[in-house]
Amino acid sequence: MTVFDRLEAVFPPDRVITDPVRLRTYECDGLTYHRATPMVVVLPETAEEVAAVVRACAEFGVPFVARGSGTGLSGGALPRSDGVLIVTSRMRRILSVDLDRRQAVVEPGVTNLAITEAVRDRGYYYAPDPSSQQICSIGGNVAENSGGAHCLKYGFTVNHVQALEIVTPDGEIVEISEDDFGYDLLGAFVGSEGTLGIATKITVRLMRAPESVTTLLAAFETIEAGGQAVSSIVGAGILPAAIEMMDALAIEAAEAAVACGYPADAGAVLIVELDGPAPEVESQLAEVIAICVATGSFEQRVAASADERAKIWKGRKSAFAAVGRISPAYIVQDGVVPRTCLGEVLAGIDALQDEFGIRVANVFHAGDGNLHPLVLFDDTAPGEGERAEVVSGRILDLCILHGGSITGEHGVGVDKARYMPRMFTDADLDTMQRVRCAFDPGGRSNPGKVFPTPRLCGEVPRVRKGSPGEIF
Amino acid sequence: MDPELIKDCVHCGFCLPTCPTYVLWGEEMDSPRGRIHLMAQHNEGVEMSPEMAGHFDACLGCMACVTACPSGVQYDRLIEHTRPVVEREHTREPRDRAVRALVFALFPYPRRLRLVKPFTRLNRRLAPFLERVHPTLGALAELTPPRSRTRPLPALVRARGRRRARVGLLTGCVQGAFFPDVNRATARVLALEGCDVVIPRGQGCCGALSLHSGYDARRFAKKTIETFEKAGVGTVVVNAAGCGSSMKDYADVLADDPDWRLRASRLKVRDLAEYLVELGPVAERHPLPMTVAYHDACHLAHAQGVRAQPRELLGEIPDLKVREISESAICCGSAGTYNLFQPAPARELGERKAARVEETGADLLVSANPGCTMQITTAMRRLGRPPIPVAHTAQVLDASLRGLGTVR
Amino acid sequence: MLGHTRVTIRDGGPADAVGGVVPRWVALPESVEEISVVLGACADAGLAVTPAGARTKLGWAAPPERVDVLLDLSAMHEVLEHVAGDLVVRVQAGIPLARLAEVLAGAGQELALDVPFPEATIGGTLAAPSPGPRAYRYGNARDLLIGVTVVLADGTIARAGGKVVKNVAGYDLGKLFTGSYGTLGVIAEATFRLHPLPADRRWLTFECEGWEDAGALLRSQLEPSAVEIDHPAEGLSMVAALFEGSAARDRAEAAREVLGGGELRADPPSWWGRPPGSPLASLRCRVAPHVPEGVSVRGSLATGVYLASGATDLDAWRSRLPGDARLVGLAGEFTGDRWGPIPSLPLTRRVKERFDPDRRMSPGRLAGGV
Ligand SMILES: Cc1cc2nc3c(=O)[nH]c(=O)nc-3n(C[C@H](O)[C@H](O)[C@H](O)COP(=O)(O)OP(=O)(O)OC[C@H]3O[C@@H](n4cnc5c(N)ncnc54)[C@H](O)[C@@H]3O)c2cc1C
Ligand SMILES: Cc1cc2nc3c(=O)[nH]c(=O)nc-3n(C[C@H](O)[C@H](O)[C@H](O)COP(=O)(O)OP(=O)(O)OC[C@H]3O[C@@H](n4cnc5c(N)ncnc54)[C@H](O)[C@@H]3O)c2cc1C
Ligand code: SF4
Ligand code: SF4
Repeated sequence: MTVFDRLEAVFPPDRVITDPVRLRTYECDGLTYHRATPMVVVLPETAEEVAAVVRACAEFGVPFVARGSGTGLSGGALPRSDGVLIVTSRMRRILSVDLDRRQAVVEPGVTNLAITEAVRDRGYYYAPDPSSQQICSIGGNVAENSGGAHCLKYGFTVNHVQALEIVTPDGEIVEISEDDFGYDLLGAFVGSEGTLGIATKITVRLMRAPESVTTLLAAFETIEAGGQAVSSIVGAGILPAAIEMMDALAIEAAEAAVACGYPADAGAVLIVELDGPAPEVESQLAEVIAICVATGSFEQRVAASADERAKIWKGRKSAFAAVGRISPAYIVQDGVVPRTCLGEVLAGIDALQDEFGIRVANVFHAGDGNLHPLVLFDDTAPGEGERAEVVSGRILDLCILHGGSITGEHGVGVDKARYMPRMFTDADLDTMQRVRCAFDPGGRSNPGKVFPTPRLCGEVPRVRKGSPGEIF
Repeated sequence: MDPELIKDCVHCGFCLPTCPTYVLWGEEMDSPRGRIHLMAQHNEGVEMSPEMAGHFDACLGCMACVTACPSGVQYDRLIEHTRPVVEREHTREPRDRAVRALVFALFPYPRRLRLVKPFTRLNRRLAPFLERVHPTLGALAELTPPRSRTRPLPALVRARGRRRARVGLLTGCVQGAFFPDVNRATARVLALEGCDVVIPRGQGCCGALSLHSGYDARRFAKKTIETFEKAGVGTVVVNAAGCGSSMKDYADVLADDPDWRLRASRLKVRDLAEYLVELGPVAERHPLPMTVAYHDACHLAHAQGVRAQPRELLGEIPDLKVREISESAICCGSAGTYNLFQPAPARELGERKAARVEETGADLLVSANPGCTMQITTAMRRLGRPPIPVAHTAQVLDASLRGLGTVR
Repeated sequence: MLGHTRVTIRDGGPADAVGGVVPRWVALPESVEEISVVLGACADAGLAVTPAGARTKLGWAAPPERVDVLLDLSAMHEVLEHVAGDLVVRVQAGIPLARLAEVLAGAGQELALDVPFPEATIGGTLAAPSPGPRAYRYGNARDLLIGVTVVLADGTIARAGGKVVKNVAGYDLGKLFTGSYGTLGVIAEATFRLHPLPADRRWLTFECEGWEDAGALLRSQLEPSAVEIDHPAEGLSMVAALFEGSAARDRAEAAREVLGGGELRADPPSWWGRPPGSPLASLRCRVAPHVPEGVSVRGSLATGVYLASGATDLDAWRSRLPGDARLVGLAGEFTGDRWGPIPSLPLTRRVKERFDPDRRMSPGRLAGGV
């Protein structure tokens, strides 16, 4: 008896993939330089099926990895060659929409955007909006605690998930909810990158669409001036839905890809989106424009219609993929710094470019200090790939040095596990490991991700009989 | 399969939600990203196994992935280069082979198609039986529409009012044989908008069917170019989406031969809607008080990027309400010969699309591709629903320009 | 035994009781290290520990099985770092919310939590959260928390999160500790994201009979920061909505249009954000709940989080609530099951076992003896 026999007993043949050519198409997620062919792929359609696979894995001591749409950028869904890959792409039903409760209940394979599409007509939407929203799965969002441009005002996935049904690593189906009294297990599970079990049903909060949305594009001569504008806007007590910034190189790439028509000669552009009740948006817009002018912006454009808004966003949204047009290869980095350190960190990145002769394009969620430096290199030029790797790592060091984080939204996955000890002490990591051991004592759920070295859990320590005695 | 083209794919997955086979099965290897990965595997030396070939065959060639891709991956070219490799390296089951041979012997030849037409009524009754012999034969029989009168089009239709242009009209094989009314309407609309319309006799297949299935299309391409050169027109207006997209590719198809490539690139090919918007309206639009749902044919919307123009033209017609069909980017499953070779997924997609069309509550379904409308109404019939009346964009415009008050 | 720790220790008395259990000693650490030393010593001696802040809610949740040491954090009341430009603050856990509010107001900012008892501490607010009115707009304490330092039962000092508002590196221990009621370890320091103080605040109040009347407000696009109800044991209910921002007044007026009446005011009604009485139960119900005779309820129509007073038979009430509602006895005497069903209890237990295998941190305060 093997795990294959067990799976074949549970699933029809077309939902267990064993053909090597097919298996290989699952070898990586959006981060393509980590690859491993899974031992077997299963495509469950219900929570019970997921639980059955997970129990089979427990029985045979086989690791498993969950995968949604495979758009992760940290290798979180990298398969195990000795393990089962559990793909949720066929669990894509929207189970219920309840506007009185302002909730939707969905299966994990439903795409982020599909939720909004299901309720948009009725004036509601699901707020977290990763740039990959058209395809990334809500299960993947939960695992990564994904964010998006509009998270500045509205928060991340964790702030919008109200309950989960999960399959624990021993194959039990359990519900965790924000309404539960006691530990915030829901908060701990969201962002755990598939290491605490598999989410099989997700209850999300739906929000009322804002009355008014306005988007402003402001051009600056230098990125420092743009950074100053960001600080001043926030300092003035305005909380825009989004504040995004792009530097000259990123603008060049976007221009090449989608001809977004941003002001020529801009050293940086800022995209500020304000939303909410119309009178509130109007007064804030005037203030934001004044601030931009005061900090040296030489051109401001306000989008009046949905079309014009889409045009402004087009350049920003295409920036990642667009960089492919100005460079043969690139690394998408994801780091966070306190907003007030943006200037210093950008100067540091500049210095790295000069030191290593590697170009870096900067695209970022300026409002919350989340940088996405795109480290450009030519993969055919000897040594350039390695130098780009070094620059990419040094950027993370800069983030840590300024009290920031090694990842703001893409997750640690397999890619950044080695950086974890730079941000956390052994004691910190051991403490996180206790959570892991509580959920997954066998270490079978997505092993090798998030934490740098595999740690064993051991038995639950036996209760030590205390003697609150007469010692004192 | 050009490794450079493959390298453009950054594995972001943005193309997945618009891929009809991914929508159906949710499997990586039946998604554009997965297929590109399979092409890369083949380039690395992995042989063309029946499994691999199956995933390429399952691709509808709808090119929705091309529209969706932010990195500019030319999947259209990749799959066009892959199909012949499949044909070369993969040995199909004998039954499959026979059916493919039948389709390719029949469809690209208008005369042969006209010959089978009288039997199509019979075919419909025979469908269940044919289905048992081979699913494709069932699909073929199911699709063929009832006969309609055919009157040959004149070789030249003169412009009404001031002449603004002189264009050629491609009549197409399926269009010409099964939907002559569409060509008639197209010619009238062009004439009413001030074009002399040249309709050369003896046009053959433009090569679309072969091109989209991995067969050599060069002969068809050369013949078509020659025909229009002889007719002395610089612009060819095409009303069938599939034909337009393959004609726009002639320069690529004939890339090996510099002389032919040049001749191909001299010929301006325009979709009807694209052309009319470029030309600008002069004829008066009369009201058409009805509600239509506009369906994006893949070969128009994705392969040619013509999405806004038909909507603009319909939008200009007084009293006409245009409804969007949800999931508009997803293929209806017709896709050239797809419904003939992959009947099961084609049906599923057809039924999915039919349901979305019904949701719009429209009186009329408008599309630029006869294959699509056949596919959707057939699906409705199969679902036991009254099929929605269908029309080509040209027919709607024709009705408005002529002040008929309704379409047909 | 604790003497060698050099931490201030005094004997416990009746005033230090936790749910009626009198601790032997009270420890008053002044730094994270001191907390660690005390907990380490308690581990060696097998002593049970309960952390305490301002003790405003020390009696909430079940009484602990035993308390040897009350770890009083009132000496840890400093603002460690406030970077106004980043809208971030790092504090010691014993700081009272009111004091923190004062410091932040100086920079035109606030921690967007409502403070029912001004002396309540940050640590207590995290360990025993009970969302206030504006949770609808800003989220609960857990949503504003971006980093923590905790000390575990064995004295281990661990940090998670950081001081940036966006960060997904590692597990979020801060969230895990919210709602832990002192049973997992001690929250020593916390870092929060802040909000600018709104330019203006306006309340709209109106009396109503049913709960549905406020629905129009929630369906509107006026973006209220809070929509609260005060449903007294007898008489009419009152709904109050808060609007924040420079156009708060216009929006409140527009809301009055939507509702067809109501009173505009610059201050909240007296019951705003206060518990309705005692005994006190926590009710979570996302649709208008059935409220038994003689029970008063206050809380948020927007988030469905309420406090209820006057209900003693919890089982009876629970049976008349929708399936996804939760009713838990917080403080006072109840008949029936105090906790109600908690599907995740086995997982909670396993977390407890890993963090506090000896069951020395406030044992028995939560459901299932956790
Ligand atoms: C072009 C591009 C832009 C992006 N932009 C953003 C952005 O703006 N913001 C952002 O936050 N991210 C962004 N991402 C990253 C990525 O889209 C997100 O991390 C997303 O949440 C991943 O979803 P997925 O379904 O693709 O998950 P996968 O990549 O399949 O998996 C991601 C992780 O989740 C786990 N997982 C998947 N499903 C489950 C489940 N049901 N239960 C438990 N664990 C599960 C996997 O094991 C893995 O660890 C972007 C990616 C791309 C390619
Ligand atoms: C009507 C109302 C509205 C409220 N609004 C909000 C709100 O908007 N947001 C919000 O978050 N809270 C809110 N609360 C909760 C409120 O802030 C509490 O008063 C607070 O939790 C009590 O703090 P304390 O310092 O008095 O804690 P204590 O009463 O001393 O302790 C409470 C519990 O926490 C534990 N504890 C205390 N300190 C620590 C520590 N450092 N580490 C570990 N455990 C510890 C104790 O063991 C005890 O179990 C509200 C409460 C009410 C009644
Ligand atoms: S052409 Fe159509 S079917 Fe083929 S991969 Fe692209 S989207 Fe899918
Ligand atoms: S959208 Fe383009 S780059 Fe992305 S996976 Fe699809 S083909 Fe590749």
